Amino acid sequence: MQSYQLETTQTLQYHLADHYQIYQRVDLQNGDSHWQSMESPQPVTPLQKLPISSPKQFFFSERENLFSFDGECFRETVPEPEPFVLFGVQSCDLTAIAYQDQFFAEDPYYQARRKQALLVGFDCLTPCEYGFCHTVNAGPGVNPDCADIILHRQPGGDWLVLVSSLKGKQALRGLNLPAADSQALVGRDQQVKNCIEQFEQDPSLAQGIDQLSNETIDNDFWQQLGLQCLSCSGCTTLCPTCSCYGTRDFVDDTGQHQERFWDSCLYESFQREASQHNPSEEAGARLKRFWTHKFSQQTVKAFGRHGCVGCGRCEQTCPGVVGVHSTMKRIVAYQAESAPC
Amino acid sequence: MLSLTPMPTELVSYYNDSEDTRHFCFRLLDPEAIKKTQPGQFFMLHIPGIGAAPFTFTTPPDSRGVFYALIKSVGKVTRALFNQQAGTTLGVRGPFGTGWPIKTLAGQRILIVAGGCGIAPLVNLTETLLQQNSYQSLALLYGAGSQKTEMLKAQRLRWQQQMPMYTVLEAPGQSELTGTPVDVLDTVLGQLGEFPTALLLCGPEIMMQKMAVKFIDKGLAESSIWLSIERRMHCAVGLCGHCYLHHSYGCADGPTYQWDHYQRLSAGDTDPGLVIPSQI
Ligand SMILES: Cc1cc2nc3c(=O)[nH]c(=O)nc-3n(C[C@H](O)[C@H](O)[C@H](O)COP(=O)(O)OP(=O)(O)OC[C@H]3O[C@@H](n4cnc5c(N)ncnc54)[C@H](O)[C@@H]3O)c2cc1C
Ligand code: SF4
Ligand code: FES
Repeated sequence: MQSYQLETTQTLQYHLADHYQIYQRVDLQNGDSHWQSMESPQPVTPLQKLPISSPKQFFFSERENLFSFDGECFRETVPEPEPFVLFGVQSCDLTAIAYQDQFFAEDPYYQARRKQALLVGFDCLTPCEYGFCHTVNAGPGVNPDCADIILHRQPGGDWLVLVSSLKGKQALRGLNLPAADSQALVGRDQQVKNCIEQFEQDPSLAQGIDQLSNETIDNDFWQQLGLQCLSCSGCTTLCPTCSCYGTRDFVDDTGQHQERFWDSCLYESFQREASQHNPSEEAGARLKRFWTHKFSQQTVKAFGRHGCVGCGRCEQTCPGVVGVHSTMKRIVAYQAESAPC
Repeated sequence: MLSLTPMPTELVSYYNDSEDTRHFCFRLLDPEAIKKTQPGQFFMLHIPGIGAAPFTFTTPPDSRGVFYALIKSVGKVTRALFNQQAGTTLGVRGPFGTGWPIKTLAGQRILIVAGGCGIAPLVNLTETLLQQNSYQSLALLYGAGSQKTEMLKAQRLRWQQQMPMYTVLEAPGQSELTGTPVDVLDTVLGQLGEFPTALLLCGPEIMMQKMAVKFIDKGLAESSIWLSIERRMHCAVGLCGHCYLHHSYGCADGPTYQWDHYQRLSAGDTDPGLVIPSQI
């Protein structure tokens, strides 16, 4: 991995802006932040709070046309976006993009956007409120496999730039940055380690994940948990790895179309069939599926990792108490209670 | 890269086949679009501007791209299909899913049990088995509500010349056997003489559950039972998530499952609607 020193991120942003549409995180007054397209790049602020929406929609669009029909022919409506850069994505969301890259490997709509994107990652240096990325191997330092370029803020305010892909290397062409020394890399490791140490210890996370992967939790637990799920889809919408979608056909002046839109496996009607048979009528059954799917051994086998990247958004948004921290705590308590003395 | 865009397909003709059900003939405008299918595989039928739904090939596409499907009108897409005129262009994607284990069935005493519209995925299988004639014996037990809802009368009459056929109707007095396939199983087995070595099921999930459990109790190995399940489907390629059965996607790993596999998968789901064998 090549590494360089950078005084201010704007040097890099302006360089990239020549070739890419720039998107970056913009802080809102309420302390939240969101992803926005920038006319001119703005200075990057340290991450206070994870943006409530992940960059998932840049690739797996919240709503998009799949094909159109003109009465004779069906035409695939694959998007053709200009090259763009997501500037300053944290490691958990980058890990989620890498996960979805696998899931949507054969999806032409996802890949049409993905191939146009350059991912510039930011190492997190302080834990965010609900995050537990280090427990699920998704941060806080950016995994080089998940980004094209990694930026790391050094104690003096300068930046270490790591180039982690060919695309990243090509994007930096023409920008003559001084090389970083090996001490800078040691410094990065140390800062990331310090950050990990600052995370609040929550042993129920690792224990709960274990129980979920071994699928040892009985149905009574899920029935109880289901009582507190409002089937609102807040968690599945914000979750950067959730990928379920529904389809809808519609007609307009230009013809007949089919679109897809984010759906939620936690909706009561998600699996309901025309006969009204519904294999997952109970909220508990749906929660079981949601959580075992995130943490099952099958997922690890298929994707090389858990389907959760520890962003904590589900906990943050859940109006009930079935987000990740709450669920794990309850799993551990339930299993302790029902364990034979 | 996979495609979610349908291939233009002509609705050639149809005929009524019992109340609310029609046998449709379609033609792929590009006959090469679907080359090879296995009995039990399905396609997605798109009615432009309305929606899409999965249906099984009762006869797979021939060299002209002509194929058939038996379709019951139950909701939005199927009702819209019933309102289409012959000659209309619709869309088709496929073939999808896993078919019946044809090779494994060679040399076996096969019993097929179908309930209602569940006979659709078994039509092409029955025709293929009859044609190959590599089984030891083959019989069909078909259950329907009444004479009005019985399907495929013509085909079943033809099959009857070549294999034992049992029809059971729920409406009293309309057939020799009354009730559901589960109710009359012992009678049918008595008449069959030899106990089957392979059981193939398609129909309401609860019927398939009960039937499988009865056979397992009578000594048939779990791995000798196969079933085709219904699940809601939107993409048919393992992406949209709708058809899940625990860790499996019905559209890709199914809709045909070996009973023991299906059983393990459904035991993983908390579904009070599904009857776990020990509770029957
Ligand atoms: C693998 C497979 C093979 C099938 N083969 C046949 C067949 O050969 N003949 C036949 O008559 N029926 C078959 N079905 C059932 C058929 O797909 C449904 O009857 C049909 O989807 C109902 O759609 P609808 O719009 O009329 O009903 P609605 O209730 O209005 O359904 C609305 C939408 O929900 C979805 N949906 C609802 N029920 C189902 C369901 N059971 N399966 C999948 N999606 C559903 C569809 O996307 C549909 O467009 C099969 C189902 C599966 C899964
Ligand atoms: S399950 Fe929750 S914590 Fe895990 S990635 Fe999804 S939203 Fe984040
Ligand atoms: S129908 Fe979409 S995943 Fe199976």
